[in-house]
Amino acid sequence: MILLESTGSWASLTGRMHPLLVHLPIGILIVALLFVLISKLPRWQSLRSAIPFTLFLAFAAAAFSCLTGYLLSQDGGYDEKTLDTHFYLGIAVAVISGIWWLTYRMLKKSPKLELVLALVMLVLISITGHYGGTLTHGDNYLEAAMPAALSGFSKKATAAGTSNYKDIGDALLYEDLVQPVLNNRCISCHSQQKLKGGLQLETLALMRKGGENGPVLKDSMPEESEIYKRIILSENDEHRMPPKGKPSLTPAETELLHWWIACGGPAGKKVKDLPKNPRISAVLAAMQPSKPVDQLATVPEKTVGKAPDAAIAALTAKGLKVLPVAENSNYLSITAFTAQGFNDQDAALMLPLKEQLIWLDLSGTAVTDQVFSTLGQLKNLTKLTLKGTAIKGKELKALNQCANLMYLNLVQTATGAADIISLKNNKHLEQLYVGQTGIPASTLQDLHKQLELMKIDTGGYRLAQLPTDTIAYHKVMNN
Amino acid sequence: MSRYKKLIDEANKEHLRSLTRRHFLMDCVTGIGAAALGSFLAGCGGTSAIPSAVAADPMAPKAPHFPGKAKSVIYLHMAGAPSQLELFDYKPALQKLHNQLCPPSLLEGKKFAFIRGVPKMLGPQAVFSQHGASGAWISDHLPHFSSMADEVSFLKAVQTDQFNHGPAQLLMQTGSARLGRPSTGSWVTYGLGTENSNLPGFVVLTSGGKTPDAGKSIWGSGFLPSVYQGVQCRTKGDPVLFLSDPEGMDRDLRKASIDAINRINEEEYTAYGDPETLARISQYELAYKMQIAVPDVMNIQNEPDYIHEMYGTQPGKESFANNCLLARKLVEKGVRFVQLYDWGWDSHGTDENLAIDYGFRNKCREIDRPVTALLQDLKQRGLLDETLVIWGGEFGRTPMQENRDGKDMPFLGRDHHVEAFTIWMAGAGIKKGFTWGETDEIGYAAVKGKVAINDIHATILQQLGFDHEKLTYQFQGRPFRLTDTGGHVITPILA
Repeated sequence: MILLESTGSWASLTGRMHPLLVHLPIGILIVALLFVLISKLPRWQSLRSAIPFTLFLAFAAAAFSCLTGYLLSQDGGYDEKTLDTHFYLGIAVAVISGIWWLTYRMLKKSPKLELVLALVMLVLISITGHYGGTLTHGDNYLEAAMPAALSGFSKKATAAGTSNYKDIGDALLYEDLVQPVLNNRCISCHSQQKLKGGLQLETLALMRKGGENGPVLKDSMPEESEIYKRIILSENDEHRMPPKGKPSLTPAETELLHWWIACGGPAGKKVKDLPKNPRISAVLAAMQPSKPVDQLATVPEKTVGKAPDAAIAALTAKGLKVLPVAENSNYLSITAFTAQGFNDQDAALMLPLKEQLIWLDLSGTAVTDQVFSTLGQLKNLTKLTLKGTAIKGKELKALNQCANLMYLNLVQTATGAADIISLKNNKHLEQLYVGQTGIPASTLQDLHKQLELMKIDTGGYRLAQLPTDTIAYHKVMNN
Repeated sequence: MSRYKKLIDEANKEHLRSLTRRHFLMDCVTGIGAAALGSFLAGCGGTSAIPSAVAADPMAPKAPHFPGKAKSVIYLHMAGAPSQLELFDYKPALQKLHNQLCPPSLLEGKKFAFIRGVPKMLGPQAVFSQHGASGAWISDHLPHFSSMADEVSFLKAVQTDQFNHGPAQLLMQTGSARLGRPSTGSWVTYGLGTENSNLPGFVVLTSGGKTPDAGKSIWGSGFLPSVYQGVQCRTKGDPVLFLSDPEGMDRDLRKASIDAINRINEEEYTAYGDPETLARISQYELAYKMQIAVPDVMNIQNEPDYIHEMYGTQPGKESFANNCLLARKLVEKGVRFVQLYDWGWDSHGTDENLAIDYGFRNKCREIDRPVTALLQDLKQRGLLDETLVIWGGEFGRTPMQENRDGKDMPFLGRDHHVEAFTIWMAGAGIKKGFTWGETDEIGYAAVKGKVAINDIHATILQQLGFDHEKLTYQFQGRPFRLTDTGGHVITPILA
């Protein structure tokens, strides 16, 4: 209450009773309406005599509510337009209920007019109440909670649950990811309607404008930006946002905001075009929208003709396993677990399958750098594994002809960093495994930098030796 | 017409089923003394002479219903059921109730395996903190695994209906609490076959000690042909029993014998055209190839030091760590389904080894490093994208302290609990750093995101490219499936 002593007053306190008191006239008016209806039945006719008194109570309560409402509006922080509407509607409720009470005798002679007036009153308190609610909770309070079946009727139905992107990489960082967090967590107070701290977070321009204490965003410095600083304050800190009692941002949402500010607070930028750190990559991976279950990114959507059986048989005879990726698909996958002797010359046998072959795993086979001239012609490859082969990667750039390649595994080969970097412009290549290639650690840094948009796994993971690794827990027996 | 066809088909499969792995491996051994002739070059003369040999091979690779994200599965089953309340399901409210009597509302109409009368509540016996960008709660019992918080999806509200180990393990692994159903691994190899014909498609590794309560039926093939049952590889001695050359016979001689038998079988086939003869040829061949391939893949001596250090492996010892490393090696060689069983997780508090505050912590330490190493190793080899890893027990443990027969126990323990427990899945199209499902504030009941055991099976099959409702097998006049009459794919955890 120290807060009140310093800034409060009786007027302010009374004003804050408004959200409580408004329910009195609403309730009393509804009771009056019920009396009007019920007393039409002969059995309940005696209720008629109670109507004038009920109406007087309603008028008194409405008038007092108007007074408290006025006092509350002096606190400020509300959207003026909505406030005005609510203000005049409130007064209208008080005035009309007063008139109704005063003219009751006259109305008694005209039961139809009485009914009309009662219904008008009902509509009026509903509308007034709705605007009041909008002032308190923000204007999308109801829509946000609408089930999918209902939200179709709402004009603001933006289908919050469905995303505008199929792949998280194609999402616009601010528009698709950051703004929804703000909408969800902040905007009920920081909008034109409530304007807490004079801050509006409905659009980027408004956010950049800041609040009454100055700007909230310091580009590329999240830790210096008020909007981020306040979110990570301890839960008991009075400056923490969202304040106590309102749902906090999840760790993932906080991370997202941090990353967006660190990127310079851009608008209209796609996630895949921005540099990532491992933490944000994890957050983004969890946000990847679910694809239809029977579709894989590594299987092309367009269909393809059947592969020639003779070509499949020739490869099978070499010990390769050639299989459709699915029972109703003509796209093929090749593995070589039982064909360790498969070599560069044999590789040419795959050429007749270049339309169909999309997944190729030649791990541990006898292929060398010469195989790349063949691999380069397998234009539909999306996944390629050359793990544990004798390749040195000198001809790796031939894979740039494989414009659909998404996954490349060069683990346990002697591939050098420069050759890997030659794949820089392979536009769909996103996953690269280069562990145990003997690339020196210093060069790995450069590799990450050059290929910053790809997920590169350079392996070499180690687990620290922890003291707890060797502690065996036993009960100490005390005599 | 189709009914007769189905009957004949079923009769054929029934015949296949009656030929167990042991039969044919035994046959390999006994048959060797019988003849010695001829030559047979593996993978060359045989296959070209008999073009349909592959078609007759029940383990030939097959395409799934739709392109699968996973090519293999590693299932880490902690037999005995680890406590979710000391590992992943953080319940500070339970700490406040510690040592208070359990409210009757939690006991009315409920059955427990050992709890009698009114037990006391047992607060979490671990220190929890949040890890990774996902902020998952993981206890200090798993200091290494905590770093993997952003790689896995936790299912926190898994439910079962069996509170004894045997039936619960059967349900977890075969989809039915009663004997006779094929295990998950059998269904998977039945559906997909294997791309490495030199190795079994479904391998089972146990950490030594106690075998799971449900016995070997949890990796059995049930009514599926027995070629699909799990092959238990031992980490000590011969990896597979009855596979090595008998004393006094070297490999060359053995090869000559098998070649001779196969040639006779080929003649038999040319004369009678019975496809079963071809199946027999391919089985002889597999057994022979496995003699080389299995000991090779099961040998971890040649792994570099840093790998041993990472997993905490000691070659020649039976351990969960060794099995984790083996699992990676097997998957790397194209094995479809690797099932690991660890034991000693039944923390009732009856003795020190089964105490939540002692033995349980030691078990956690034993698996923490190897499980973490397995995930990282799969990752750095580019295998995690196509390998589905699952960790879990057969049920969970109660928020109450066990009071066996209504008495105080010598150590802290928890009873079996069916209403909510945690398992996690990782790799192969599973969301990274995600949690699905919630329990109430003391971790007693599932509140949100409930998952049934056959939902897990449906999800495993889904990731391998199967519609779990369509992967069926005709038996006793009706089609059977792993998920029986239930199963919903847990779509929220799919990336």
